[in-house]
Amino acid sequence: MNSALEARRSTAARIGIGGPVGSGKTALIEALIPVLHARGVDLAVITNDLVTAEDAERLRRSGLIDPERVSAVEAGACPHTVIREDPSLNIMAGDVLEERFPGVELLIFESGGDNLASTFSLDLVDWWIFVIDVAGGDDIPRKKGPGVLRADLLVVNKTDLAPHVGVDLPRMLAEARQVRGGRPVIATNARRGAGVAAVADAIVAAVLFDHAPAA
Amino acid sequence: MQKIEAILGNRMDPALAERLHHVEHHGGIDLVTIDPVDIARHRLRVTSGRGRDLAIALPRDQQLFDGAVLFLDGHSAIVLRVAGQHWLRLVPERPEDALELGYHAGNLHWKVRFEGGALLVALEAPAADYIARMASQLGGRTFGASVLESLPKCP
Repeated sequence: MNSALEARRSTAARIGIGGPVGSGKTALIEALIPVLHARGVDLAVITNDLVTAEDAERLRRSGLIDPERVSAVEAGACPHTVIREDPSLNIMAGDVLEERFPGVELLIFESGGDNLASTFSLDLVDWWIFVIDVAGGDDIPRKKGPGVLRADLLVVNKTDLAPHVGVDLPRMLAEARQVRGGRPVIATNARRGAGVAAVADAIVAAVLFDHAPAA
Repeated sequence: MQKIEAILGNRMDPALAERLHHVEHHGGIDLVTIDPVDIARHRLRVTSGRGRDLAIALPRDQQLFDGAVLFLDGHSAIVLRVAGQHWLRLVPERPEDALELGYHAGNLHWKVRFEGGALLVALEAPAADYIARMASQLGGRTFGASVLESLPKCP
């Protein structure tokens, strides 16, 4: 293979962050960016919205990341269709960012807010997170939605709200771990940064092998 | 941790097969087994049959497959095996139940195949979860369910 073609090969790790509307997907990304930057991770973000670029604009204005490193995909209809059934638009957006920023190591795909059935195609991402929040109700894990069951990591966000919405957080986390058969669950308060380092650790361990601590 | 950044080829490729045969004679083949659901991933961390910690990070134009040779030198080789896909065989009792089974399986985005009067669902989670989910959708109406470890051969 010639060197020019080799240089264009797409190699950045790709992860997905999905979950219901308002669960804190964008807030989690805002919290993750400085943590990952501090670990030397070169990253870019692709957001998905229904008919706007709202989440992309929020990240571009955040001052946390070069605005050029944030790309927006408008799903048009059901947000899950462009991360699962036909992820072509997102794959293309990722390819464009990789070409524009050749050193990029991590592409984060944020899905549009969806329901508990939302999952990512592994043609699009190597690993994915599903974000729910305590204010959405402590019965969410018991509903066993595919997003909750199949995500590589389940994040339960807004833990600070638990006492205000009558949620027994330890029980919610225990039920989440039980329905997931022991697969990882991390509790976060993304606004305050609680639990975010653990999410970054999980991302590094799963897909960012050059940043993994030596065994 | 051993990084795997490219697939060397198929274990059946004549050039590789000869070298693998030589390595096999010296007991140097290390198999790494993954679930069918993981085959689409380009990055994953797995432990081989002999306990090697592997960090697979493939370019996106390469795809894992059963028999992919991940490492080969004069003494040892790492070959990928994909575990068999298990299927849940759902058998409706009546034609109207079949319609509903098909509708709900599609609505739940299950991967399915058809076998005579049965619906075969590719399992990516415990079969009990699928059965419970379908039972709740069908409002208590019964259907037959059994797990197949491989698809029946085509006639």
